[in-house]
Amino acid sequence: MSDTPTIFAIIAEELARIAADKGETLPSLTPDSLFLGGDLPIDSLDLATLLVLLEQRTGQDPFRDGLRQFTTVGELAALYRETV
Amino acid sequence: MHPRPLWLHPDVHLLEGDGDAVWRSWRWPDLMGRPLPPDGVVRADRPSTLLAALAAAEREDRALLLSRREGGANGWRAEPGFSITLESSGTTGEPKRVRHDVQRLLGRVRGRVDPSARWLLTYEAGAFAGLQVVLTAATTGATLVAVPGGGVQALAAAARDQAVTHISGTPSFWRAFLMALGDGLPSLRSVTLGGEAADQPLLDRLSAVFPSARLRHIYASTEAGAVFAVADGRAGFPAVWLDQGVDGVALRLNEGVLELRSPRATLAAGDGWLSTGDLVERHGDRVLFVGRADGVVNVGGVKVSPEAVEQRVLAVAGVADALVQAKANPITGFVLTAQIQPAPGSDEAALRARIRDALAELVPAARPRVITLVDHIPISTTGKKGRKAVP
Repeated sequence: MSDTPTIFAIIAEELARIAADKGETLPSLTPDSLFLGGDLPIDSLDLATLLVLLEQRTGQDPFRDGLRQFTTVGELAALYRETV
Repeated sequence: MHPRPLWLHPDVHLLEGDGDAVWRSWRWPDLMGRPLPPDGVVRADRPSTLLAALAAAEREDRALLLSRREGGANGWRAEPGFSITLESSGTTGEPKRVRHDVQRLLGRVRGRVDPSARWLLTYEAGAFAGLQVVLTAATTGATLVAVPGGGVQALAAAARDQAVTHISGTPSFWRAFLMALGDGLPSLRSVTLGGEAADQPLLDRLSAVFPSARLRHIYASTEAGAVFAVADGRAGFPAVWLDQGVDGVALRLNEGVLELRSPRATLAAGDGWLSTGDLVERHGDRVLFVGRADGVVNVGGVKVSPEAVEQRVLAVAGVADALVQAKANPITGFVLTAQIQPAPGSDEAALRARIRDALAELVPAARPRVITLVDHIPISTTGKKGRKAVP
């Protein structure tokens, strides 16, 4: 284990901040948590914001060549390399 | 007993959900008795309210304002005769109002009578695109499923629970909708995209996910309304249309900006040509949309001017300079980001709070979603801020 946070941890941290900005509390995240259509208090603008923040934090943009399908937190995390 | 308007098909059926699986059902006899309010202003957040108001305005030969926010008329005066006035979403300040001739609006609605069609309303009922969907359902005798105020989760549940067959939405809607649907796919017969440029990866996914649906993307401009529909599953439009025109509309390029001449246009220059403000590029046999000449970007279907938002940020005390940019993303097309150069000695928390207050009156799509404090704002070699959208 290294000391750098995993992509999953970064997603959890940024999502919690996005939710807090809206006065919402994030339920505990699992790799199976759905971004939209589940019980996370976020909308598509929030999700877009998360992707911008992830690019800032990781320097990676897995969507440079267009849409890649993901619906869960785990699926999104898998699109990034763990080299933060 | 009021007579049914000629344009309203007797089979039309409205289903309005509260987002909690409770559905209210409306047919013409449920709608016909409602009078128009004395000021002619109706908050158009529900298809049932909208259709009832439209029928009442026609019956009473009066003007109708479909208001999209609390606060009502605010300076609007009803002109004599039957007309309908719509409000833009108004990304900065007051909404723009446009008055429409109802027969002309109805004349634009396409589609054959099909009471088996079940439409999902993905737009606000009082938005231009929303009104077109409501009128399409009303004139073709379809069922219209709506979840007023509901987000994409509620719409995905509605599409499944009500076995929706026809959906029209922005590309941003479709991306979020596909995510929210997961594996529970409705079996769609018609998939329509409009309001922003449709990109090829999204079109490919939609045709893979809904193989038996008719897939179309619509190009419309504010002045000319719907201009053409592209049904070959490819982004942009055939370059040959620049020479031959399409559906009675002539097209040409002027310094990269698409211009058109349409018999349906309401406003045009003396020679009949109208600039759309849309930048396009020719790639082989195809013409692709690449953005707006005025820098306006589309954030989840809402047109947003980074420059106008930047002006607002620059007015905040403690901001020495600012750069607002559009950043591309696969969910909403773009979001705005802001880089802020604080005035010397500003407190960061207080500055962020003031910026947040200054942006609070904008619609959510127009607010910069990521705000970064920087030592200086980068200037390009031309001496301008590098406002170009970031891929």
